[in-house]
Amino acid sequence: MPVIHYIAFALTAAVIFTVVFVVPPAEGLGNYVRLAFFHIPVAWVSVLAFLMSAWWGQKVLRHHDMLADAKSAASARLGFIFTVLATVSGAVFSKLTWGSYWNWDPRQTTIFVLLLIYGAYLTLRAAIPTQRRARVSAVYALFSFLTVPFLVFIIPRLYFSLHPQPVINGSGHIEMDPVFLWTLIAALLDMTIIYWGLLYHIVCGHRHKDGKDGETI
Amino acid sequence: MIPSAFEGARIVMCKELRVSFRQQAGWCAMLMFALTTLACVSLSLSGGILEPKLQAALLWVILFFSSMAGADRGFADEDMAGTLPTLRLYGASQSVLWGKVGYTFCLLLILAAFLVPLYLIFLDVMILRPLWLLAAIIVGMAGLSIAGTLLGALATGASVRGGIFTVLMLPVILPVFLPGIALTDMAFGGEGGSGSYLLGMILYDLMLGVAASLLFDYLWYDD
Amino acid sequence: MIEITFEDVCAAYGEHVIFSHLSKRVIGGHITAVTGENGSGKSTLLRLAGHLLHAQVGHVLVRVDGKEIRQSELRSHIAMVTPEMKLYDQLTARENMDFLLRLRGVALTDAMYKDCIRHVGLSEEELEGKYIGTFSTGMRQRLKLAVLFLSGADIWLLDEPGANLDAAGRGMLLQASRQAADMGRIVLIATNDNEEEAAADDTIRL
Repeated sequence: MPVIHYIAFALTAAVIFTVVFVVPPAEGLGNYVRLAFFHIPVAWVSVLAFLMSAWWGQKVLRHHDMLADAKSAASARLGFIFTVLATVSGAVFSKLTWGSYWNWDPRQTTIFVLLLIYGAYLTLRAAIPTQRRARVSAVYALFSFLTVPFLVFIIPRLYFSLHPQPVINGSGHIEMDPVFLWTLIAALLDMTIIYWGLLYHIVCGHRHKDGKDGETI
Repeated sequence: MIPSAFEGARIVMCKELRVSFRQQAGWCAMLMFALTTLACVSLSLSGGILEPKLQAALLWVILFFSSMAGADRGFADEDMAGTLPTLRLYGASQSVLWGKVGYTFCLLLILAAFLVPLYLIFLDVMILRPLWLLAAIIVGMAGLSIAGTLLGALATGASVRGGIFTVLMLPVILPVFLPGIALTDMAFGGEGGSGSYLLGMILYDLMLGVAASLLFDYLWYDD
Repeated sequence: MIEITFEDVCAAYGEHVIFSHLSKRVIGGHITAVTGENGSGKSTLLRLAGHLLHAQVGHVLVRVDGKEIRQSELRSHIAMVTPEMKLYDQLTARENMDFLLRLRGVALTDAMYKDCIRHVGLSEEELEGKYIGTFSTGMRQRLKLAVLFLSGADIWLLDEPGANLDAAGRGMLLQASRQAADMGRIVLIATNDNEEEAAADDTIRL
């Protein structure tokens, strides 16, 4: 899909330009706010990749669809990388704005659990013999998806009560300024396209290389 | 006539209990592992006084890690003995799943009944609200046994045995683990929990149950 | 009537193709031998027939009176004797049979148990109160056959069933297979034994 590559390339260039030269420093955050345009899209793709992995997982189970298995695995692998990027950029952001790299803020907790799930999924894939791999991985992708309501609804309560100090929320500032908002939307779109492009690159490359069955991880 | 899922589960559970009582090494290993974990924590604290929140957290860490030696027994033992293909042929999926969940639940309750009193004695913990502790442990062990049975079935046939089960379990069981700590904190006189956590745990257990039941069919039947 | 249809089935282990383009219809009332060298896919074929393994390429359909059956319904029609299916070492012979048959909804009475045990050439006294972990391979094989005979299943999948049996035991097995076929059941025997092959009505060569 060369078209999507061009779009991604152009959009990325535009977003970087806007973030570096157009976006004004935010009140309270100063120039650090520029990091948010990387951090938030990467975190969004981490969650999206998890969702897609589970979605393709149910296709594997219902239709014995081996292509869906390749997509599910590729999505999990990309998701893992994006989650690492989100965690690291988040930790840096946290250090710059709150003064410490890690303080078990609800969102940090959520992304950390996501990292554990991706790690477990990839370990499982590596350990299961080829014949059962697709089904077993799909079942785990779906089963671990159960934690999502907990991560979204319960964790913020649980950890808010343990850390009563107000948590600074970047998006609260951003929604006030249209330049911020549109740049953020463009950055989210851009990162999603990059994820999609990489996913198809991996899946197609994998199919070209070794037919239907010889996955290495 | 194929027995109903309930009757089938009873048959499977009776078989599991019978086999496991004849295999004393399994019990010894599990209880000694629990005792070792407890001793490790207790010795390293060497009599220091902890606040309720930390006491609660440590109790659940010990419960979690010692249950890892037992929660996957339902399928790991069959896999090792080579009886899994036999069971797969003769047993219907829901009978096997729920029979094994029931067995694992018994196993974990026995483990908790062994571990918790010892913990309370060794760490000199005061319980102010014992019913909350009891409820948290029962609901928590139910969640562990459901997730443990399904994930134990997933991990059969894995090329690396050690550790993989724990790795799979932790993220899935966190929604039981964290509220469990908060409730136990409350039972020990802290201010962490509230009744709604128990409700949350029960709801999550139910979700685990429904999902395990749906997904297990796909593992049990290949077509 | 029960029938299994293989439609253009291929079996592969990773990159290694075991057999391909197998099309065959197996119907109740016949003994079918599956023959071939070691590694030619005999066991795989049996597992495909019982849907214990999913065919990646092609279809395996099992029909009862023209209606396709799958999953739990199909399982309840199958009984299998293979070296990789083990019985529970910590249970006695009777407990093993009780457990597996009750899962199939068969209540094992004393009379049935005694009859069947004698039929497969075991004696009650030598089984009494012993866990089967102490049994010889041949005795365990006979016990598996006892479960097979009592299961009431109408698809018999037998993988080298005579391998650990003496001549009398093999004779008993072939006789029982013939009786099963006469009752309209499907008997599939994976074998390299000439005697078993000769007793079959049909052969699938891999």
